[in-house]
Amino acid sequence: MLATVSMLGAAGCAGASADGDAATTEAPSGDPAAAEQPAGAGPDGQVYQDGEYSETGSYQSPAGPEEIGVTLTLETDVVTAVEVEPMPDNPTTTVYQERFAGGISEAIVGRRLDELSVDKVAGSSLTSGGFNDAADKIRSEARFQSP
Amino acid sequence: MTQSFEFAAIGTSWRVDSSMPLLPAQRTELLRLAEDYDALYSRFRADSGVTALSASGGSLPLPPHGTALGRLLRSLHDLTDGAVSPLVGERLAEQGYDAGYSFVPTTAPSPARVWDAVLRWGGDTITVREPALLDVGAAGKGQLVDLMLEYLLSEGHDDVIVDASGDMRRSGPGSITVALEHPYDASLAIGTVELGSGALCASASNRRVWGDGLHHIIDARTGRCVDTVVATWVLAADAMTADGLCTALFFADPADLSRSFEFDYVLVYSDGRARLSDPLRGALFP
Repeated sequence: MLATVSMLGAAGCAGASADGDAATTEAPSGDPAAAEQPAGAGPDGQVYQDGEYSETGSYQSPAGPEEIGVTLTLETDVVTAVEVEPMPDNPTTTVYQERFAGGISEAIVGRRLDELSVDKVAGSSLTSGGFNDAADKIRSEARFQSP
Repeated sequence: MTQSFEFAAIGTSWRVDSSMPLLPAQRTELLRLAEDYDALYSRFRADSGVTALSASGGSLPLPPHGTALGRLLRSLHDLTDGAVSPLVGERLAEQGYDAGYSFVPTTAPSPARVWDAVLRWGGDTITVREPALLDVGAAGKGQLVDLMLEYLLSEGHDDVIVDASGDMRRSGPGSITVALEHPYDASLAIGTVELGSGALCASASNRRVWGDGLHHIIDARTGRCVDTVVATWVLAADAMTADGLCTALFFADPADLSRSFEFDYVLVYSDGRARLSDPLRGALFP
């Protein structure tokens, strides 16, 4: 548990903008006491802790490694807001990432994180790889802790 | 129960799954097929066949499968009024997608040279009248998927799939469910399709694959990128055809292409609308 908390701290987790609601378990704040969560699930079987999470994802572009900043807002396991911040090193990537950032928010609002059961996925894109990278980090840091 | 073999080739990740063991010699052969293909067509290698054509022109002898690729590319070229053309290679390079990945456009977009003025793809020989940088990204990755699958079938594999990061071909009983990735967000899908025996390929205008040949869809008639259609998926018997049609659908009406090819498709336009063939009705989430 402690190791998990300190790992989140090191990752710069913005974590706990969720607040107030007594039924909602607090997001990790770096305080070891906050890590005393119910085993593996939140209230009403909720999988992820409410809150705003920021992460940086990286992906390999032909011009070298690029980064993209992703901020997700989670409420009762549903993504309610997405912000994508391009942070490219070269102008072509800027164009691609801005196009990506422009289309993403409208599309993703209100969809669950783990919804589908499929064998394969067709249509991967390179910027998406960076988004996935960031989303995976958020997924693991937002998940209620197992004992 | 199934065996998997994952590797990197022609600038993307590959995964082969089979119900039978993938023997070391078979794995070696898969890698050899990829290496031979790359050595022939990669415009990002100083020692490739197409690089030689771009430096000094002349002729490039191809293995037998080169005939089918040339025929398909010519057919797509004609059906798209010249929008799909291997001669888009030098336009891609000029726009910064060059062997050095400079990402610095050296000229304003301009039309690619006309096929008949420069290029003759006769059977298994490519001849260029003057030095020309060719790009077979429109269908090349699909063809390599086919070559690998057909090799594995010849080795007795009877429930097998070759997946080159979303361009795939399967042979076996039953079917699998494949998600169609949202063009702007890989954590979402816009629908699912069932893949029995056959190929499913995908193209998105924000995609960068095939050592970078196809990440950017350029219209050979104008040299500019295409932004009306943002993503395409095609189901067809083989992956080369499916891959090529994915590119052609950025430029041509599906109805026109369907007079020459048998396939099913999903298109997504930049405004979020989708269009799909009748048998796929219901594939997209409501």
